[in-house]
Amino acid sequence: MQPLRRILPAILIALAILAVWELYCAWADVSPLILPAPSDVARALGTERAVISEHAASTLSVAALGFSTSVAFAFLISVALHFLPPLERGLMPLFVVSQTVPLIALAPLMILWFGFGLLPKMLLVILVTFFPMLVSLLSGYARASRDHLDLLASMGAGKATLFRRVRLPSARAAFFAGLRISATYAIVATIFAEYAGARRGIGIFILSAKNNFRADLVLAAVVVSATLTLLLLGAVRLVERFSDRRRGHHAAH
Amino acid sequence: MLRIEALTVASRERALVEHLSLDLAAGQITCLIGPSGCGKTSVIKWLAGILPAGLTATGRLTIDGGERTRPDPAISYQPQSDALFPWLTVAENAALGLEVAGVPHATAKARIAPLLSAFGLAGNERLFPDQLSGGMRQRVAFLRTIVQESSFILLDEPFSALDAVTRMRMQAWLVARLQEVRRGVLMVTHDLREATEIADRVLVMAASPGRIVADIKIDTPREARGEAALADLRETLKSMLLEDFS
Repeated sequence: MQPLRRILPAILIALAILAVWELYCAWADVSPLILPAPSDVARALGTERAVISEHAASTLSVAALGFSTSVAFAFLISVALHFLPPLERGLMPLFVVSQTVPLIALAPLMILWFGFGLLPKMLLVILVTFFPMLVSLLSGYARASRDHLDLLASMGAGKATLFRRVRLPSARAAFFAGLRISATYAIVATIFAEYAGARRGIGIFILSAKNNFRADLVLAAVVVSATLTLLLLGAVRLVERFSDRRRGHHAAH
Repeated sequence: MLRIEALTVASRERALVEHLSLDLAAGQITCLIGPSGCGKTSVIKWLAGILPAGLTATGRLTIDGGERTRPDPAISYQPQSDALFPWLTVAENAALGLEVAGVPHATAKARIAPLLSAFGLAGNERLFPDQLSGGMRQRVAFLRTIVQESSFILLDEPFSALDAVTRMRMQAWLVARLQEVRRGVLMVTHDLREATEIADRVLVMAASPGRIVADIKIDTPREARGEAALADLRETLKSMLLEDFS
C-alpha cells in the first residue's frame, strides 16, 4: 500500500490540526459565531448538504467549462505563437499585463458588461488559467532535445514535422504541469466571479453565509471548494494516466 | 562517390574548418579522427544539413558528380547520442527516418520487420527505449539509420556511450552489417583502436582551423590485420594527433 503510506503524514497532520482546533474551541469557550469548531462545520455541511451540493455543482461545471475552453484556447495560441515568432513578441507582453489586472477590479466590470450568466465567469476563469497554460506549453516546446531536432532535420523534416514529431511530444510533461496549476486556479477564480455576482455557486453561497454571520457555513464552503479543486486535479491526473501510451509498461522514471 | 570541395565553416569569430576537401567511396568505411575542436563535428553536421545557426559555411557537395543541397536523402546521419525518442517504441523509432521521408506507416513497418533479428531486436519491437540496454539502444539507432537506404552514412562517435565490452562487440557487429549493405560510411571517432580495426581509410584532422593533415588507406582486409601492424599504425596516428600543426 505504497500510495497510502505516502499520504499518511498529510492525513495525520491535518487530523492533528483539527483536533487542536476542536479542543481550543471547547476549552477557550469561543463563540461559534466567531470561530466554529470543526464539528460545527461538519454539522453545517451535513444539514445544508442539499443546498451546498447544488451550488457546488454549479461552481464545478462553470470551472470545468471555463478551464477546458482555456486549455483549448491556450493550445491554439501556443501553436500560433510557435510558428509566428513576431506574433509572440507582439502578444506576450499583452498576456503578461493581463495577469497583473486585479480580479477584484475586473470581476464586477465583467458582471456589469456581460450580466449574471455563464459568460463573465468563464471569461474570468480563462483570464486566470490561460497564461500558466500558455507558458507551460511554450516552455515545453522549447524543451525539445537538440539531438532529436537535429536528427529529424537531417532526415529532411520541415518546421511542421519537427513540431508534430518532436516539440509536441516533448511538451507533454510541461503541459500536464501547467494543467495542474491551472486546475487549482480555476475553482478559486470561479468562486471569485460568483462572489462578484451570480445566481448560483459556492461564491454566492459564501456571500450570503457571511451576510448572515454564519461562520460555520463559510468554512463549510471552504471545505467544499478544496474538495472541488481536488476533484479537478484528480480528473487531470486521470487524463494524464490514460493518455500515456506507455501505460501498462513499467516506466523507469 | 561523395565529394566535398573547399568546405569552410566559420563562426563569427573564427574559421572552424578551412578549405577542406574529401571523397567518400561507396562501400568504404572512412574514420575521421582529430583533437577536440578540430571541426570533425562541423563537417558531419554540414553534410547532414544541420549546421547550428550562427555558423556559416561555403563549399560544394557532389554525389556521383551531381551537385547536392543538404539535407539530402542520399545521406543519413546518426548523432552522438542514440537520439531515440522516449515516447516511441523500438519499431516506431526504427521507422522514423522512413516515415519522415513520407513512406507510409505500414510499408515502413514491413521494411523493418525482416531486419529486426539481424539487429538483435526481434521480440523487442514494442518496448520503449528506457527498457533497453545501451547496446540495444545503439542497435535501434543503427537500424533507424541503415533502413533509410541512403548511399552514405554519417556516424558521430557511435560507440562513445557504451561500456568497453559492449563496445567491442558492437564494433564487429556494425562492420558486419555495413558490409552487407555496402554504404559509404564517414565515422567520427576518438578511439584509435576502433579506427584502425574497422576503417578502410583514416583521415586525420588538425585544429584551428580544422583541416585534413593525413589520409591513410588501410589495404589489409579487416580479418587479416595483425595486432603488431595495427599497433604501429596506432602509434603513427597518435604522433600525428600530438603533433602541433598550428
